[in-house]
Amino acid sequence: MGFLVTTLIFVAVGIIASLCARICCNRGPSANLLHLTLVITATVCCWMMWAIVYLAQMNPLVVPILNETE
Amino acid sequence: MGERGRGGCCPPMDLMRSEPMQLVQIIIPVESANLSISYLGDVGLIQFKDLNVEKSPFQRTYATQIKRCGEMARKLRFFRDQMSKAGLSPQARSLTQPVHSLDDLEAGEFFHSAMSNAEAHQTEYSSNQGGEESLETPLLSEPEVTTFDSTKQVKLGFITGLVPREKSMAFERILFRATRGNVFLKQAAVDERVIDPVSGEKVEKNVFAVFFSGERAKNKILKICEAFGANRYAFNEDLGKQAQLITETSSRLSELKTTIDAGLVHRGNLLQIIGEQFEEWNFLARKEKSIYHTLNMLSIDVTRKCLVAEGWSPVFASKQIQDALHRATHDSNSQVDAIFQVLQTREMPPTYFRTNKFTTAFQEIVDAYGIAKYQEANPGVFTIVTFPFLFAVMFGDWGHGICLLLATLFFIIREKKLSSQKLGDIMEMTFGGRYVILLMALFSIYTGLIYNEFFSVPFELFARSAYVCRDPLCRDSTTVGLIKEGDTYPFGVDPAWHGTRSELPFLNSLKMKMSILLGVSQMNLGIILSYFNARFFKNNLNTWFQFIPQMIFLNSLFGYLSVLIIIKWCTGSKADLYHVMIYMFLSPTDELGENQLFPGQKTVQLVLLLLALVSVPWMLFPKPFLLKREHNRHHGDSYEPLPGTDESLQSDVNHNSHGHEEFEFSEVFVHQLIHTIEFVLGAVSNTASYLRLWALSLAHSELSSVFYEKVLLLAWGYNNVIILIVGLIVFIFATVGVLLVMETLSAFLHALRLHWVEFQNKFYEGDGYKFYPFSFATLDYEEE
Repeated sequence: MGFLVTTLIFVAVGIIASLCARICCNRGPSANLLHLTLVITATVCCWMMWAIVYLAQMNPLVVPILNETE
Repeated sequence: MGERGRGGCCPPMDLMRSEPMQLVQIIIPVESANLSISYLGDVGLIQFKDLNVEKSPFQRTYATQIKRCGEMARKLRFFRDQMSKAGLSPQARSLTQPVHSLDDLEAGEFFHSAMSNAEAHQTEYSSNQGGEESLETPLLSEPEVTTFDSTKQVKLGFITGLVPREKSMAFERILFRATRGNVFLKQAAVDERVIDPVSGEKVEKNVFAVFFSGERAKNKILKICEAFGANRYAFNEDLGKQAQLITETSSRLSELKTTIDAGLVHRGNLLQIIGEQFEEWNFLARKEKSIYHTLNMLSIDVTRKCLVAEGWSPVFASKQIQDALHRATHDSNSQVDAIFQVLQTREMPPTYFRTNKFTTAFQEIVDAYGIAKYQEANPGVFTIVTFPFLFAVMFGDWGHGICLLLATLFFIIREKKLSSQKLGDIMEMTFGGRYVILLMALFSIYTGLIYNEFFSVPFELFARSAYVCRDPLCRDSTTVGLIKEGDTYPFGVDPAWHGTRSELPFLNSLKMKMSILLGVSQMNLGIILSYFNARFFKNNLNTWFQFIPQMIFLNSLFGYLSVLIIIKWCTGSKADLYHVMIYMFLSPTDELGENQLFPGQKTVQLVLLLLALVSVPWMLFPKPFLLKREHNRHHGDSYEPLPGTDESLQSDVNHNSHGHEEFEFSEVFVHQLIHTIEFVLGAVSNTASYLRLWALSLAHSELSSVFYEKVLLLAWGYNNVIILIVGLIVFIFATVGVLLVMETLSAFLHALRLHWVEFQNKFYEGDGYKFYPFSFATLDYEEE
């Protein structure tokens, strides 16, 4: 699973979540826009977090060095 | 981070801007005033302005009515006292909301019924009191029996009575001394507690009979009795009369007993009835009082035929308010309808966000910093997600997240029950923020999965670790380390890192860079919101001379740093980013050498540096000068059409509206200077401030691993059940006390700071004032 595939999964999850929010609590266009904003913000936050950690491990400069006792 | 445009294409977003408000004037005929205000209180969407500020409370129109309400409240308090004294359901909270009868309960009728009830109750009670007082005389029947034998035929004087039990010993001693022993005292304890006629309380008493000889001794004894608060009762010396007295008193006793019983039952019933309706009455009294307080804020017409109200209300509420006024006119059989009209004003309207139980807590987080200026972009929208997210970045551990989730689910499931009862201070706060904690817990579980920590223990949940030994024997795994083979661990931190010697350097570098990336994103979001503010208020100056240079400045320095970080990760370059950033300022023309991350980096850096340098004067100079020019133009305009002569009224109005806009160039310039310096320095210090994300998340993971390894694993190592149990208990307490409570608090505070300072100072003015509508719904929470 590369970077792009997982990113696409995030996008898909985001879209599904926004659709769910739209269908489950449809309270007029203003509220829907708020829900959409919240879902997108949450998705972007989660994606950023994941992407940062993933990218940081892609080309490691340091590698795990086991403790001698173990 | 996500940012939704709010152009013409989209509907206005809930919560993004405070509700549009209007200043309304309502002219109410006096006869329907009370009902109108009452109905408006039910609607609860209008904040009345006090139009009688200069009048003292006693000069106001409805001062007497307020006094009446105060009197009523006093009576209700008396009822409550009586109920609690009787121990009779002191707070019989009628679960059915009192609203159902409020409409048909006329105020006058209510007062009458309550008053008559009060009187009836009071007379009843005092008669009870009287009855209980006379109850004491019959208690003589007992002393008679006990003292009768000892009197015999001796010609002695005697006094009988009751003395409080705790004083009886002292009483005896003093009597003995005063009469030098020439006295015979007999005491017996009364089984039941006796009501003292003076204090009205039930006390334990002794009955006594003192025999003495001589008039002097009698006087002494009488004085002593008085001093000890002993009640004396006459006792006939003749035996026949004594017998007669006994029958008489016992018949009176039984008679009184039935009266008292009946009285008590009646009183109990009455209190029961009062108890059922008490809350309703109480609410009604408070409601009436608040209505009259509001009426006092209205200015009364000279003809005293109508009241003029002014107040703020949301635009959407116009219909509801008019309906309420109409109903009030109809219900009070008034001939004239109330007049509702919207006033034009230059005053700043109050800020009102329509929140629900989910968004309220988040809005309160924002409001605690400052109430939004009227209609400015509300950081609360993004706070709903970014606040719990930043919290979770510092609190990443999915085990702890689950604990937090369970705790908050407990609150949410019992929400209905808990919201109706009074909680302690801390509980109240936790309960109020239950949805904040819910999101915090959910995000902590997510970031915990990313950090791959479950009570600091990693799991290979998503794939096998990407790291393997270099050779089959794993000889140099402790010196050179493992080697990455195959794909990167797909989700979160590779479990192989846990417990290795290079774990800390790796995690530090990762978390530090992550903090900067998240911080730069959030600050950019803040600046973008300032653009939406500028566009909303049609302030082009702010767009061109604040938003754009700010974006350029922040992104040419820290945006560039973020890009470098990502490039470094993607290419695996060994470039030293500190070095790059520092020498970008110190000697931008030098060759980068091995620190070069991409071709043409030097040119890019030069351009960015120039942009950053240009954007500072760009922020500083044009805006004040343009403001001055604009003001001069307006100034010229506004004085042209003024006739200048007779119309003193108009010029007065004009003066008022323009008075506070006196343009002081130096002031504006200094303000802009401060703003620029603050932004430039803030860009650096705010970015550094986001490093707290790294520090706190490091502290959290280190603490939890210490508790796990040094407590749980150590105890496990002893192979002893008792030590294991002790270790487990210590572990649980440390986890709950330190990690779940204290770490939650500290991460909460730091997330709060990042939002208040680093995020909101980019766009949020926060100098508005809150909309406090006159509403009966909030009445419950006041007082008490």
